[in-house]
Amino acid sequence: MRIFLGQRAWLLQRLTALLILLFVVLGAAGLLAGATPSYVQWHAFASSSLGAVLIVLFFGALCLHAWIGIRDIVLDYVHAPGVRLPLLALIGIILCAVLLRVALTMAAHFLPGA
Amino acid sequence: MRISIYRFNPELDVGPHMQDYDVDPDSGDKKLLDLLVRLKTIDDSLSFRRSCREGVCGSDAMNINGRNGLACLTALSTLKEPVLLRPLPGFPVIRDLIVDMTQFFAHYHAIRPYLINDEQPPERERLQSPEQRARLNGLYECILCACCSAFCPSYWWNPDKFIGPAGLLQAYRFISDSRDTASAERLAYLDDVYRLYRCRTIMNCTEVCPKGLSPSHAIERIRLALLRESS
Amino acid sequence: MPTPSPGRPRFLKLPSIRFPIGAFVSIGHRLSGVVLLIGLPFLAIALEQSLRSEADFAALAAQWAGPWRSLLLVIVVWAAAHHILAGVRHLLMDLGIGSTLTRARISAWATIVTAALIALSSAARWLS
Ligand code: SF4
Ligand code: SF4
Ligand code: FES
Repeated sequence: MRIFLGQRAWLLQRLTALLILLFVVLGAAGLLAGATPSYVQWHAFASSSLGAVLIVLFFGALCLHAWIGIRDIVLDYVHAPGVRLPLLALIGIILCAVLLRVALTMAAHFLPGA
Repeated sequence: MRISIYRFNPELDVGPHMQDYDVDPDSGDKKLLDLLVRLKTIDDSLSFRRSCREGVCGSDAMNINGRNGLACLTALSTLKEPVLLRPLPGFPVIRDLIVDMTQFFAHYHAIRPYLINDEQPPERERLQSPEQRARLNGLYECILCACCSAFCPSYWWNPDKFIGPAGLLQAYRFISDSRDTASAERLAYLDDVYRLYRCRTIMNCTEVCPKGLSPSHAIERIRLALLRESS
Repeated sequence: MPTPSPGRPRFLKLPSIRFPIGAFVSIGHRLSGVVLLIGLPFLAIALEQSLRSEADFAALAAQWAGPWRSLLLVIVVWAAAHHILAGVRHLLMDLGIGSTLTRARISAWATIVTAALIALSSAARWLS
């Protein structure tokens, strides 16, 4: 089994980058145009199906992109397996925790009563 | 002219040190290599490789004032003093400016640098159209001097696993050859986080190639070819 | 880093190497990526807080006032700007746009300068 795939990681890094770029450009354009949302607007957006999906998608792309990037850095600079593997595991756990945090947050607001 | 050279003699020295020389170039000394040859007559313990003295053999690659280049192609008039000469970065030093190229050539052999074609050979040679031949321009000129690979940070960190810009440029030279029928296998061999995808497109390689080639461009083409292959 | 084979030194003193401008963009890309990675858990927490209640939402902005926190914010702004610009540069170069040496050098300078300007303008806004 190939643990570290070459092209798949490279491609996913670019696809997630495009997705993040789209979100950031739209978000920044909105803010620069002076459309700072109020709490009510923001909450309504986040608890709509579209908004919830977009937020989860955004964080998913961020975490995946971060994982591929940091893994590349570790592969370049950290060579001792005894350090490399625990380090990768730790970063992986942190990224999963971030995703879990976002999922719980969204569930609490999106699913009424949850 | 003041030159400061990295010296290491495995029989005498525990570690390397820099040694200063003051030499006056002769009116006939145009290139850095001319001056090194003159220095060698003053201090015959100084070691460096050279052969063709005209940028063809690729043997006198070294780090000149912080950049990799060929001594025989570097004009003395362009050099800031003191001229700092060191061996190719990251490569094991055998003595002074001479480095061990074993690993570098192992990568070159690994990409199978020869035409592979199992079809029945034609009566005469395998012909190419002018367009097919033109695709090899910018690739076949490589002299394997290692200036590029020894300036590539990705190669410094993983010299045993990353093929490096020189090997990848050569790989693309055969992938692009219309007479070669093993492109798919060649691409499959390269599809690996280490062999190809350690490259971060820093372009240090293209910055220093003394033949004006662009390994980073070849790498970009290999990635696109892999993309086409898998879609 | 690989260990030198016994008895054979390797010359790899980075300060003695004259790096091209593209190498600085690249190391900045890495550095900013790490900064953003560190910021990611805080972003998830901020998301939670922004949705919790009207008061928490309002408190979010106030929490980032103060000189030291604003400085952190400026660093994050630089990191995001540099990372995005360097990333767009790479995406274009992947497609063969601007991947010749001359153009890559120009876009490298442009990336560094633009990211620094964005960081400076945010500093002027928050730190004054
Ligand atoms: S690509 Fe250029 S720098 Fe690299 S080995 Fe070939 S000739 Fe030397
Ligand atoms: S472009 Fe790739 S091969 Fe060339 S120096 Fe950068 S990382 Fe190395
Ligand atoms: S001596 Fe042959 S390339 Fe310089």
